[in-house]
Amino acid sequence: MSQEIGVVGSPDFTTGFRLAGVRQFANVPEEEKPDRLDEAVTEMFEDDGIGIVVMHDDDLDHLSRTVRRDVETSVEPVLVTLGGDSGGGALREQIKRAIGIDLMDE
Amino acid sequence: MAKDVKPTRKNLMAIEDRIELSERGHDTLEKKRDGLIMEFMDILDQAQDVRDQMDDRYERAQRAINMARAMEGDVSVRGAAAALKEHPEITTQSKNIMGVVVPQIESSKVKKSLDERGYGVVGTSARIDEAAEAYEELLETIILAAEVETAMKKMLTEIETTKRRVNALEFTLLPQLYENQEYIEQKLEEQEREEIFRMKKIKAKKEEEESAARAEAEEEAEDEEAEEPVTADD
Repeated sequence: MSQEIGVVGSPDFTTGFRLAGVRQFANVPEEEKPDRLDEAVTEMFEDDGIGIVVMHDDDLDHLSRTVRRDVETSVEPVLVTLGGDSGGGALREQIKRAIGIDLMDE
Repeated sequence: MAKDVKPTRKNLMAIEDRIELSERGHDTLEKKRDGLIMEFMDILDQAQDVRDQMDDRYERAQRAINMARAMEGDVSVRGAAAALKEHPEITTQSKNIMGVVVPQIESSKVKKSLDERGYGVVGTSARIDEAAEAYEELLETIILAAEVETAMKKMLTEIETTKRRVNALEFTLLPQLYENQEYIEQKLEEQEREEIFRMKKIKAKKEEEESAARAEAEEEAEDEEAEEPVTADD
């Protein structure tokens, strides 16, 4: 089954991806993020036609704890975050737990 | 608990079988865990390269779109973005790494030629083309990152499960089985000792009885011998 790529974020963030042809996007302006981001992200993750969800790393801070945990551990669709400092905070935690040492330590 | 098992030879044999099976399972799982960790290390290196590349491309794409916005205005950039006809698609196939099913994502229509984009050539400038191209390149890396990161997540889950199983065998099941085995062996030895002691007692008692019987018989014989001459004299 062919799937599409979805983008969630501020209009500035999504425009570039739309220029590359992404049509599954959710625009959430900066000031509405604390209220609307959870809903937009959940909706995106429930869509079976989407295989990859792209978000800005800083936007994860606006998500509620449960939604954040769900999206960070989700495999289908998988979340890819851009920007931010490290990339994959939850992944890093999981590595520490599974392997026993912090392998992402630079 | 050791007190729950009946100290019989049959149970001892069953426990010994279970110990053998658990030890074999423990060794196999340990090998699987080590193998998974080694595979994971390879993927981690790859993931870090992909992430570095993705960060670079994201920065470049952002610069390109900011330039396009500055030169053409936000409205025309958004207008061009809304006009796109071809949409990138991904298809997922799976690959098996040591029992872990990881995805292999193939993409189509990510990179597009100028006429495929659909926003027209006349109304837009090269800045927008550059931004679109930069974002197409970024998308390609994102798809690669998604593949690698999903593989990492799945392998980590598997490593955690395997580790938990190894630990459960090593620190819970096997010690309990050894304890049960020792308990039964001790009980059986004790029973054996009791049995030997009992046999010795019985033997001693029998010997005592026999010697008593013999003594009695001798006494009787002596009595008879002593009485006989008297009767003969009569």
